[in-house]
Amino acid sequence: MCLGILLLVAPFPAQSEESISQTGLAIVVHADTEADDVSMAELRNIFLANKQFWPDRSRIILLVRAPESDERDYVLNTIYQMNEDSFRKYWIAKMFRAEVPRGPKIVFSSDMTLDLVVAIPGSISFMRADQVTEGVKVLRVDGKLPSDEGYPLK
Amino acid sequence: MKKPVIFKALVALALQNNYMKNCVIAGIALISCVLLALPQVVIAQSYEEVVSSSMESPEYTVMGFGDISYVSRDGSDQDGFFIGQAVGHLVASLTSRFGVFAEVSATGKDSEYTFEVERLIAKYEFSDLFKLSAGRYHTPIGYWNSAFHHGAWLQTTTSRPEMVKFGSKLLPIHFVGVLMEGNLTSSRLGLSYSAGFGNGRHVNIARAGDAGDINGDKAWMVQVQAAPDRFYGLNAGLGFYSDEISPDDRPDIKESTFSAFVAYTKESPEIIIEYMHSSHENLTDSSVSGDTNAWYAQFAYRLKDNLSDWKPYVRYENTDVDDTDPLLFDQGLDYDAGILGVRWDFNPYAALKAEYRAEEFDNNGRENNFRLQLSFVLAKL
Repeated sequence: MCLGILLLVAPFPAQSEESISQTGLAIVVHADTEADDVSMAELRNIFLANKQFWPDRSRIILLVRAPESDERDYVLNTIYQMNEDSFRKYWIAKMFRAEVPRGPKIVFSSDMTLDLVVAIPGSISFMRADQVTEGVKVLRVDGKLPSDEGYPLK
Repeated sequence: MKKPVIFKALVALALQNNYMKNCVIAGIALISCVLLALPQVVIAQSYEEVVSSSMESPEYTVMGFGDISYVSRDGSDQDGFFIGQAVGHLVASLTSRFGVFAEVSATGKDSEYTFEVERLIAKYEFSDLFKLSAGRYHTPIGYWNSAFHHGAWLQTTTSRPEMVKFGSKLLPIHFVGVLMEGNLTSSRLGLSYSAGFGNGRHVNIARAGDAGDINGDKAWMVQVQAAPDRFYGLNAGLGFYSDEISPDDRPDIKESTFSAFVAYTKESPEIIIEYMHSSHENLTDSSVSGDTNAWYAQFAYRLKDNLSDWKPYVRYENTDVDDTDPLLFDQGLDYDAGILGVRWDFNPYAALKAEYRAEEFDNNGRENNFRLQLSFVLAKL
């Protein structure tokens, strides 16, 4: 019974945040993308759609997890530094200013993220590092992979 | 303290006098209307939809903005509700590089609605550094004019600053022509530029030359902005605009406008400061010239934790036109205003703003007024 109570009151979000903090959040791109390493500032510019093209001039397709996922919360906190309302307003304003032709594509699971990044040239997204499988490329951020000490998304 | 307690306290305070009571009733009516009317925003993108819309197939996004206000003025018997603007916006992504943006508005006037194509832009994006477009724009001068457009919900306050208000004679709010723009995304300063060339003002200087330039001299403009990586949220810019104007009631005039701005938009705080200096010279008599200076400073702060839906704000505005300015001297544009208000984001897609304004106009003297505005966006995101 004590175990049951403990499980009920356990802070689930905090646990999953810990989990991302432990495994790291991998930045995954389509395998043919001509980029291996981005700085944190470049990554923010990509996620803010200030940078919309890869070095080979193909368009960057941003895939973002739907609300109420730990991965999305982590990205909003660390990369965007926004809450849900600010994030929504940011993209509405961006489209309204004619600065982007569309908002980010919404994905609902890590499996969907993987499938779409494999299928869509130029795509970029994020997922827990321990859920990455073959078929996508993991970008180094500030020269580091999720398994490295000092990886910035950990 | 929780939100409902604060809200109840504000309502109780407001009900102590009849004037405020009317405003509160108007506000409650407006909120009720929008809560009933707001559509349920549903995100529904299947795997196939995402893949197909990410490829070369066309994709369309439609958005709408609107605002409804209740305005009460000192000594005026025309207090009442005003439909601000109903704005429709279409983004058509026709290929991965080519798209069309359109913005149309319906504005309530005394006895009719006026419809306007506010922006119509066809844009081809070669790279981050080089994007080329043609059409009708909000002139990229300063910050506000190209940041908030006709979306009252996007801006913190109920209205644009006087220097960039729609229909202003101070600045050319719209221009028709071509625009080149781009970002130097690799620079730590986050530099970007825009450079435009097109029709200048119409003979009615409050309007753009929609059906061709009225004289042989085209308008041109350039603006450079910086958004440094190190100060995320900060944006600063400098711009210049030049044109020869042929107003219907005076000689041709050379117009040169310099603008500068700093904006920090992370909301806690939000700071926007914008300045413009415009020189006008009579082209038939160069000894007749004059300057106009205009600026505003806006400060807002989104409160934290349980009060994060609330955002108090203040703004000061000033416009000063030289008596010798050959274009604007008799337009009654001198202006001075202090604005104090609060924005309540009671819904992710709608906001209620309450604003007190103390304004001094060139011709009409001082005026105090109170505005209650409901603004909303219809968007799927």
